Amino acid sequence: MYSVVTEGLTKKFNSFTAVNHLSLEIGEGEVFGLLGPNGAGKTTTLRMLACLIAPTEGSAAVAGYDIQSDPLKVRQSVGILTENPSLYERLTALENMDFFAQAYGLLDPQERSRRIRALLEFFNLWDRRNDKVATFSKGMKQKLAIVRATVHKPPILFLDEPTAGLDPESAKEIRDLMAALSQQEKSTILLCTHHLEDAEKLCRRVMIMNRGTCIIVGSPDELREKISGQPVIQIGLKQVNAKVLAAVKANPQAKEVTVNPQEVALMVTVDDARSATPELVEEVVQAKGQVLSVNVLRPSLEEAYLKLIKEENKQ
Amino acid sequence: MNRRNVWLVFKKDWLEIKRNPQVLLPIVIVPIIFAVVLPAIVVLISSTPAAAGSSQNSVEGFLPLIANLPQDIQAMLAQMEPNQVMVYIMAVYFFAPFFLIIPIMASSVMGSDSFAGEKERKTIEALLATPLTDGELLLGKSLVSFIPAMAVTFVSFFVYGAIIDVATYSMFNGMLLIPNAVWLILIFGVTPALALCSIGLTVIISARVKGFKEAQQISVVLLLPILGLLFAQVSGLLILGPVVLAALIGLLVLVDIAIFYLGMKVFQREEILSRQS
Ligand SMILES: Nc1ncnc2c1ncn2[C@@H]1O[C@H](COP(=O)(O)OP(=O)(O)OP(=O)(O)O)[C@@H](O)[C@H]1O
Ligand SMILES: [Mg+2]
Repeated sequence: MYSVVTEGLTKKFNSFTAVNHLSLEIGEGEVFGLLGPNGAGKTTTLRMLACLIAPTEGSAAVAGYDIQSDPLKVRQSVGILTENPSLYERLTALENMDFFAQAYGLLDPQERSRRIRALLEFFNLWDRRNDKVATFSKGMKQKLAIVRATVHKPPILFLDEPTAGLDPESAKEIRDLMAALSQQEKSTILLCTHHLEDAEKLCRRVMIMNRGTCIIVGSPDELREKISGQPVIQIGLKQVNAKVLAAVKANPQAKEVTVNPQEVALMVTVDDARSATPELVEEVVQAKGQVLSVNVLRPSLEEAYLKLIKEENKQ
Repeated sequence: MNRRNVWLVFKKDWLEIKRNPQVLLPIVIVPIIFAVVLPAIVVLISSTPAAAGSSQNSVEGFLPLIANLPQDIQAMLAQMEPNQVMVYIMAVYFFAPFFLIIPIMASSVMGSDSFAGEKERKTIEALLATPLTDGELLLGKSLVSFIPAMAVTFVSFFVYGAIIDVATYSMFNGMLLIPNAVWLILIFGVTPALALCSIGLTVIISARVKGFKEAQQISVVLLLPILGLLFAQVSGLLILGPVVLAALIGLLVLVDIAIFYLGMKVFQREEILSRQS
């Protein structure tokens, strides 16, 4: 069963289309990444799925409930980290969490305080529980907002840039938390992020969107291959000379050859790394090149992403 | 609608308001002025000697008002010394409309903070994401404006009445000026209806404006009819008697129903964030 299904989901603000006929399916327990440049419509999509704004067109079901006819059930099943921490600054951390936990239906006071305590301790915020949120740092607010999103153990989590503003250690804590929630609790997570590394590590599938439409969906591996296609073979040499360079360029498998700025490696773009690598190394050796290392470089998701967006914006 | 959830919203908002001096100060200071400074004026008049003749002059300003009072009260006033008349008119009639300002001011200040303020501080998004229903949010937030507004209105009325009665006890030979029927209807009938009107209007305005300051400023328009009432009474055009007040309550109830109907239409979560500019 799918946790989130959308069909032709569209949101217009007056005449401006922020999200344009978006269709996607997210399986139970899946971590799904939503990527795209600023203003792509990620937050707007999340807001529609959390029943915070009404779609102009199209439909969606979250946890099996239709967002238009059953919004209450949807909101009960969802925990959301919004773009702003959206916390009451005049209330203490504990007062904030107590309010939201009750609003989400955690009625048993003992269970509620146990749950809140566990989460606050996880994020090292327990000692600050009686301080007003106004006195918290940006990252502390972000963590508290994540506590709020998860306090009622929702089966579905919508996280809008959860690691924004966090130090590397805290960012890792949150990644670990997301991984644990997905694997152990079978929570479904829809993650909007600009940290492509996060997406690469966590997400089973990602969608890249631009100007409200989906450009591509797939696993990070698939996307990398689809978008940037050709691998690059990096041949590290003691020294690059003209003879070696000419020999490599002469090989029909080498599509493009460049010398790296330090002049100690050749970067050779090929179609198929498996067949090209042994051949190229042999050519280099025959030309008396002294090989230090050979690497097949595949572009990261980030490079694939950047390339895709650049192409998109040209159109 | 779940009563526990309404209470939850109420408690949360009250906690916020309690810690916000910007909201707390006006709803404490204005009633204090009305409950203490207005009676102080009366005390001052009642303690100045009757022979001075100045009271006679001031009474002239109220002649149109007096001329339109019910017969029995006019007859009673005819028996009184000029400064007794002055004190009676001021304490019982002239100051009455001021007490309509308190519920309007208090409920619009708290309502603006609770509705527009929550939008301005960007806390509304997480609140709207909870399973609390629109009705629970609207009611909880309306109550957090209504209950404290009524509390300050009632308390300032009691303080005002107590000071007036103590100060004028010997002057009127033991007759208590307040409470009378007019004041009781005014405080316990008109002010709640008026506060609801102001809250409903604040809800509608809050949906349109960016911040609570603007919401509050626009709510000031509600004070205009009150000033109108004040002048209408001084000029003798309209005297706040039981019948007029009953009519006023009736009118306000109709306005309340209309405004809350509109407010409910405006306060729909799917619209609140879409319209946010
Ligand atoms: N309430 C609104 N009224 C008018 N336009 C809006 C509103 N909310 C969003 N938009 C517009 O919709 C588009 C998509 O916005 P959205 O916030 O979904 O982008 P995003 O992908 O989350 O961007 P970012 O990465 O910067 O968070 C933007 O062009 C934005 O200006
Ligand atoms: Mg966003």
